[in-house]
Amino acid sequence: MSGLLSQVGLHHYLILAAILFVCGLATMMLKRNAIGILMGVELILNAANVNLVAFNHYRHAAGAAGGIRLDGQVFAIFVIVLAAAEAAVALAIFLSFYNNFTTIDVERATQLKG
Amino acid sequence: MPLPALLLLISTLLPLAAFGVLLFAGRRLGNPLAGMVGTAFVAGSFACAIAAMIFWLSGGAGGPGQMAGAAEWGAGKGPIVMPIAWLPTGGGISQDHPGYLDVGLYVDSLTVAMFSMITLVALVVHLFSIGYMAHDRNFPRFFTYLSLFCFSMLGLVIGGTLLQIFVFWELVGLCSYLLIGFWHEKRSAANAATKAFVTNRIGDFGFLIGMGILFYHLGNVSLPHLHAMLHTAGLGGPVSLADGTKFAPGLLTIMGVGLFMGAMGKSAQFPLHTWLPDAMEGPTPVSALIHAATMVAAGVYLVGRIFPILTPDAKLFIAIIGCATLTIGALVALVQSDIKRVLAYSTISQLGYMMLALGLGSWVGGMFHLLTHAFFKALLFLGAGSVIVAAGHEQEMVRFGGLWRKIPVTAVTFLIAVLAIAGTPFFSGFYSKEMILRDAGAFSAYAAQSALNHGQSAGGYWLFFIVPTAVAYLTAFYMMRCWMLTFWGKPRDQKLYAHARESAVMYVPLVLLAVLSIIGGKFLGIEDLLNWSMRESSQYCTQLLAKDSGAAAGGEMKFAGFATAWPAHLPNEESLGEDEPVVRERTASQRAQIEGHHLVLQFAFWAFAVGMGLAGAVYWKGYAVAEMLLRIPPARWIRNWLYRGMYFDELYQVVWVDGIILGLAAICRGFDRRVIDGAVNGTAAVTRGFSGLAGWIDRWVVDGMVNGAGELAHGFGAAMRSAQSGRIRLYVMVLMAAVALGLAGAVLMALSG
Repeated sequence: MSGLLSQVGLHHYLILAAILFVCGLATMMLKRNAIGILMGVELILNAANVNLVAFNHYRHAAGAAGGIRLDGQVFAIFVIVLAAAEAAVALAIFLSFYNNFTTIDVERATQLKG
Repeated sequence: MPLPALLLLISTLLPLAAFGVLLFAGRRLGNPLAGMVGTAFVAGSFACAIAAMIFWLSGGAGGPGQMAGAAEWGAGKGPIVMPIAWLPTGGGISQDHPGYLDVGLYVDSLTVAMFSMITLVALVVHLFSIGYMAHDRNFPRFFTYLSLFCFSMLGLVIGGTLLQIFVFWELVGLCSYLLIGFWHEKRSAANAATKAFVTNRIGDFGFLIGMGILFYHLGNVSLPHLHAMLHTAGLGGPVSLADGTKFAPGLLTIMGVGLFMGAMGKSAQFPLHTWLPDAMEGPTPVSALIHAATMVAAGVYLVGRIFPILTPDAKLFIAIIGCATLTIGALVALVQSDIKRVLAYSTISQLGYMMLALGLGSWVGGMFHLLTHAFFKALLFLGAGSVIVAAGHEQEMVRFGGLWRKIPVTAVTFLIAVLAIAGTPFFSGFYSKEMILRDAGAFSAYAAQSALNHGQSAGGYWLFFIVPTAVAYLTAFYMMRCWMLTFWGKPRDQKLYAHARESAVMYVPLVLLAVLSIIGGKFLGIEDLLNWSMRESSQYCTQLLAKDSGAAAGGEMKFAGFATAWPAHLPNEESLGEDEPVVRERTASQRAQIEGHHLVLQFAFWAFAVGMGLAGAVYWKGYAVAEMLLRIPPARWIRNWLYRGMYFDELYQVVWVDGIILGLAAICRGFDRRVIDGAVNGTAAVTRGFSGLAGWIDRWVVDGMVNGAGELAHGFGAAMRSAQSGRIRLYVMVLMAAVALGLAGAVLMALSG
């Protein structure tokens, strides 16, 4: 167990985060459903969170002179909270959008076209 | 200050004091009192003048007269010269006299004689005026003006510089204007005053020009210095000045003619004579004092004063003008019906005689006639005034006739004046006129002889003798005609005749002047005074010259100023002294003078008898003979031509007044059209052009910038709007592409760097 775990380094997390980020980005770009886009956003945010926590673990915990610093973890929790708030606002917008257009297809939402 | 100068100064200032008093208190003093105050002051003035004359003749009783290195003053010795530096001008004539425009006193025998004459006539006229103006509403104002005039006239005569003479010259002109227009409610009087003033202005321009020439070249206009510096002018050549420059005779002639033009205006010489007959609109005492005795003689006085610096050409000009004037005046006087106009034209004629005399070199003759004429012409005018008062302010001789029974004193004194002006022997006019004609004859004879010697024709010079001699006959004729029509024959207007009455207050002046008209010629010694005056001037200037040239010249310089004047005395009467100013051909000129004397005896002596006899015969029964003559058309034409003063007024009206008004109108119109309208239109055109430019700039530059900014923003927006599709996935894709590009760039740079 420890052997396996010891083989996992920072770059594995970064790769994971990158895969997650790209998945989220692709979701955002390709999904026409607003809810899907929201999911993509969530994926991107969590990719960032993975990065934050991983960097905190490998950079600070290893090289710190004294005590444990949890800056990354705290920042990740902030991001989760913000994501929740953002999801709430976005869902409200979607509801309102649905009320007006009876759909949540973002291709139809071209009111902001110049 | 030498006593005579002081007395004359007081004599000059007293009328000024009278003017001051009358100006402020005249109205309060009221009718007879204001006149008496004025008269009292003038009487004081007269007393001072007589006292000055006595001291002058006694020659130096007042102490040594040594002002400014002058010679001993006194009759026949030298003048009193007291310059007062007035305006600093720079330059200067000599070291002890740096550049100043001077005023000051110049007193010689002529001054003293003029003072006595002026104050006497002024006194007499003042007395007369108290009676003549008794019923006038503006009685005090009349005496105010009269006092101012006396002051101005005396100031003119005592003036030692041309500048001072000019200042007082203008003052007497002003007084003349005020007094001619005294009854300014009358339109004709106001017009006459303006005419006199304007005509005099024309002459005064000449005066100013002459004075300007003198001042520019000499830096000084005081009389003895002018005489000394230009003393050789009369000989005709160029004059060398102290600084070595030459004064060209042509310029000197222009100077002389310019100054003479001033005299032409004041002394009513042709062609500026037309104001004097109109000046008769003024009260008659004014005519007597200003327009007969004193102011009009100021021109003659001026020419007398500048005589030593006149060139022969200038003198010839003066003689020609004098000759024309005396002829015109006498011819027009022949037919006038207004008694004052007869006298006015007679004055013009007599002034012409004086000018002729001066022009021909008869300095003593001209000034002598000026003084004697003052007495008898003042008498004539006062006599006419007496007649006019008696006739209830009627001046037309047509309505007179037979008045001698009613106003005998006037008739007799008037007759005495007529005899004097006609040149009856033993009356004053005889001596002065005889002297003028004698010198005219002498000049003609001398000039004709010179011309013959040079192989030229000499006929023209004889005109200078023939014309004045012929006019002497006319003078006797028209003056006797005037007397006959007024006093002789049957009364032509019974009503006027019945009311005619003499006023006692006017006797005294008439009688006094009548006495002077008789004795003025031989017994007052005027001629001697004038001869002394010439000698005084010569001696003073000789000394001045000797002092200025000093040791450098060595010898004594002789004053040549009067060289062309005729010796006043015939050589057998008085031997000519060494310092006699004549330096040129004494014997020839004396011979000419004797010839002139013979000519006068031959041709002119009986002029008075012939002229007066003829007039007596023609006008014995009033206008009867004259009316018979007028039936002949040519006689009537000539009479009308003369009666209107030879149409000079009409001519001047057409040529000058209308000509100038129309000409000025045309010029003004042209100016208005071309210049003013042009300026306005030009301004408008410029404004229009400028606003066009401004509009263009506004439209294309300013608006262009604003619109350009708008267009730019619009175009940019148009270009950019296609990017704003509103599709959120597209946005994300673009965003990611940009990030990817940025990252790729950053990686590339990191790798290459």
